[in-house]
Amino acid sequence: MKHLMQVFVRGITRENPLMILMIGLCATLAVSTQFQGAVFMGIAVIFVLTMSNAIISVFRRFIPDEVRIPMFIVVIASFVTIVDLVMKAFVPSVYAFLGIWIPLIVVNCIILGRAEAFAYHNGVLASIADGLGMGIGYTAVIVLFAFVRELFGSGAVKFLGATLVGLPSWYPAPAVVLLFPGAFVLFGLFLALWRALVSRVGEERGVCR
Amino acid sequence: MASSPLRLVASVVTTCVVAAGGLAVTYSVTAPRIAAQERAAEQRAMAKVLPDAARFEPVAPVLLDAAKKAAAAGQIEGLWRGYAASGDDAGWCIRVSARGYGGPVRMVIGLDRNGKVQGLTILSMNETPGLGTRVESEQWFLKQFTELPAGFGDRDVRALDAISGATRSSRAVKNCVAAAGAAFLAIRGR
Repeated sequence: MKHLMQVFVRGITRENPLMILMIGLCATLAVSTQFQGAVFMGIAVIFVLTMSNAIISVFRRFIPDEVRIPMFIVVIASFVTIVDLVMKAFVPSVYAFLGIWIPLIVVNCIILGRAEAFAYHNGVLASIADGLGMGIGYTAVIVLFAFVRELFGSGAVKFLGATLVGLPSWYPAPAVVLLFPGAFVLFGLFLALWRALVSRVGEERGVCR
Repeated sequence: MASSPLRLVASVVTTCVVAAGGLAVTYSVTAPRIAAQERAAEQRAMAKVLPDAARFEPVAPVLLDAAKKAAAAGQIEGLWRGYAASGDDAGWCIRVSARGYGGPVRMVIGLDRNGKVQGLTILSMNETPGLGTRVESEQWFLKQFTELPAGFGDRDVRALDAISGATRSSRAVKNCVAAAGAAFLAIRGR
């Protein structure tokens, strides 16, 4: 149990896919212009990551080494297509915003990376814990990132039609925050903050390898 | 340790068959809902751009072809006739697309019987967030098209203001409206 908890927490803090492993950044920078889109993107990634980790871990002894990558991809692509169809059917407004980035979860390195590096070598429960941890770690960062970008880039954060927070109307809302240069600059600031606040805690306890 | 070729083939085939089965089930559950959502979105857009109309009917293919040929600035994708609740002719709904900065900008434009723009809305676009997307978020931009005279032409549309920093996105919207105007002139009275 303690081991599972460690695996789970590691995905959020010490091995956070966005802040530490720095994989799957392309989609992250692209969809984090809108808080609502980022929330659903996070949910989609948690689902695909956990399900593909679980399935691959269950069948890992039956997956021959030589064809493991094609088989991983088929499993991942199936779950992504399920998410794609379900989102299209039930949350069309979110789907319209995320568009191509949902099908592109198939090639998101986080998913294949965890399948190859973790699920293929570990038990089912540990793989599920890893999928959940990595997924939540991803979601936490992208949601926070999108919140900051939408707030300072367009002046107000909206979720399903309701305004969560708004800046006063005299704030000029620079468009650069929503564009890619702003994304890179902000991402750098996020990394610096993460290093200062989260990673250092691990180091002081001497857990870092 | 190398696996036998048979085992390799068998495991990949099994995975694919199971995956395809799972997808078929998901698809059959979601397909009717997706189709309904798309129809509803189209109806909502048409009701918004032509508020006087209570129901919409697609026009005959001959008319659609004539409209497509006349519209040089954009592609006409669909053409509906709107009828008011009393059965009176309420005008036309035109779905049209034109190339913007990041891909096609797709719009629905409502014209009354005389060819005056009643309303217009953007169905989908892939313009730069914060720059090109202002064609939708800056109210005055879309509103100015509703002030065009009945039976307007290319020149009237081109004379309208564009949004600075979003030249190509603005041009895409203008092309959509110009195409709708040209289509109307080709099919009016038919």
